[in-house]
Amino acid sequence: MSLALSTLLYEWRRYMAAVMALALSGLLVLGMAGVFIGIGKGFTATIERSSADIIIMQPGAKSLIGGPAGVPRRFIPLAYNHPEVVEVQPLDGAGGSFQSVRNVDPTKSVAERARAGAPKQNFVQTSIIDTRPGSVTIPTDYSPELVEALRQPYTVAIDETAMRSLGVKLGDKALYNGQTVTVAAILRGYPNMMQQSIVMSRDTLRMVGQADTGPRVGPLMVKLSDPTRAEVVAEQLNQQGDGQWKAWTRQDLADANQSAMFEQGPLIIILGGVTVVGIIIGVAITWQTLRGAIMANIKEFASLRALGVGMASLRRIVVELSFWVGVVGVAAAIGLTWLVAVFAGTQGVLIALQPQALIAVGGGLISIAMISGLLSLGVLKNSQPADLLR
Amino acid sequence: MMTTKSHGKHGDFAIEAKGLVKRFKSGKAYVEVLKKVDFDARHGDLTMVMGPSGSGKSTLIAALSGLLRPEEGRVDTLDVDDLWKLSSGKIDKFRLDHCGFIFQGFNLFPALTALQQVETVLKFQGLTPAAAKKRATLALEEVGLKPRLHQRPSALSGGEKQRVAIARALAKDPQILFADEPTSALDGENGQIVIRLLRRAASEHGAAVICVTHDPRLEEWADRVIKIEDGIIIDDQRRTPNPNATLASHH
Repeated sequence: MSLALSTLLYEWRRYMAAVMALALSGLLVLGMAGVFIGIGKGFTATIERSSADIIIMQPGAKSLIGGPAGVPRRFIPLAYNHPEVVEVQPLDGAGGSFQSVRNVDPTKSVAERARAGAPKQNFVQTSIIDTRPGSVTIPTDYSPELVEALRQPYTVAIDETAMRSLGVKLGDKALYNGQTVTVAAILRGYPNMMQQSIVMSRDTLRMVGQADTGPRVGPLMVKLSDPTRAEVVAEQLNQQGDGQWKAWTRQDLADANQSAMFEQGPLIIILGGVTVVGIIIGVAITWQTLRGAIMANIKEFASLRALGVGMASLRRIVVELSFWVGVVGVAAAIGLTWLVAVFAGTQGVLIALQPQALIAVGGGLISIAMISGLLSLGVLKNSQPADLLR
Repeated sequence: MMTTKSHGKHGDFAIEAKGLVKRFKSGKAYVEVLKKVDFDARHGDLTMVMGPSGSGKSTLIAALSGLLRPEEGRVDTLDVDDLWKLSSGKIDKFRLDHCGFIFQGFNLFPALTALQQVETVLKFQGLTPAAAKKRATLALEEVGLKPRLHQRPSALSGGEKQRVAIARALAKDPQILFADEPTSALDGENGQIVIRLLRRAASEHGAAVICVTHDPRLEEWADRVIKIEDGIIIDDQRRTPNPNATLASHH
């Protein structure tokens, strides 16, 4: 074991501040990025867990919802022209007000009614499934019982994280756009931090009067006879469409969806700001800690100098030391972030830890540590062996 | 062709210094700490440099060993003519190859075991890890620390720490060994072990041992005693060492 590594391990308390500074800088950046990616995942969950092998949208659209994703209805038969396509269904969705039902004495004052938990009105996003077994619009993790429940007219499903804010639980009645619906199922794994969403069947959507009946429909969900050929078929569908549409494989769309999120200005500003703060804190604390730690061993370094070990070798020791501090800091950062993610998970908040983010942040932390090491090289000047003579 | 690794014969000059002058700035005035000092030390000799504090004895060995540049004078040492003409990198290399150092403080890395303290320096000298380990073990055995090879400084007594520092200096098999007050942080018994090890480095290894001290009891072991006061050598005597002298203050 090298001198640097043994020193770090033996005198770990001395280096703790630096390791913690790095870990917290890492947590700051990883946690923020994780929360944003998690929010994005809430939106893309529907894509990633969709049964569709290919999704056909308007060229230029990158996300199922919000963007100009819909296509003319006549594209449905056009997509069926490909011999490997077995099912095409347009995704449909809408939005509306959602209000829990509760009996509260109407003669009481507003404040008293609020205290008693009077119903609140929320705006929700509605998406649909087709309840025919095996339909392309049913997400892969929906159980047959769930589909069965949604097959009943005027039923909806909500995510478990939405129960509290929507003020309903399983079996409750609620008003959707003024019409009574029943919460027939609770979903797990579809949290959405921006806006709550509910799921209903296409038929229920039609019954509440919000289904697409005109010449335009939502994005087309396409099922293939052989899902492993999705990329090839998507390519062929794009040739066939001749620029009128764009066919995405499920994974490509999910990726595009996520990166589209990171093209948004505020996210970049927040993440960039957090990164800058993280770097400043990391460098400042790590630098000062390393300086202090080297000063604590300065006599030992000076005695090495007296024995003829050159300044360059001492500098290498310090740089190696800062490298190891960085490595430990990365481990601590990942551990901390993982803990926070686990905790957040129990609260229904998704923090996504992606390998690319871990590698980028890990590399960044090691660079911070090494920069701090380079900054603290100056104190080695104090390793004057002549000072040891008296 | 005079560069061989073997040590000079007993009695050959290891260091010759002429006209060393060192001044320190003190306020507006300069204090002359070394006033044209001539000095030499021979292989196989334990040369004792004695004097009261502030007499310039530590400054003298700093100038001799290439640690502190003197204003005037030259130091010829081993096969190097005028050490202070070399670049600082070359001076470091010279010390790495030929010099050992022992200080009053032990200056051991808290994280390293006795064995690792000694190995570290040897590895910087370019030895392979296996060779460094072998030589470090030998050196520590020579100072009587075989049972303490894997102890860290926190588990060693003051005397043991100084012996590790001596092993660290001796493992390099130096031709010149500088010791600055090596016994003043130790009790009589440990001090005696240390001075005997220095004696042996001179007699058996043929090193030129230059020992700065103000402890007159150490004179017993010296081949030569140089007294310095106010930057001037006032006395220089050869004597016959008594290797069996005792330092213990009792009896």
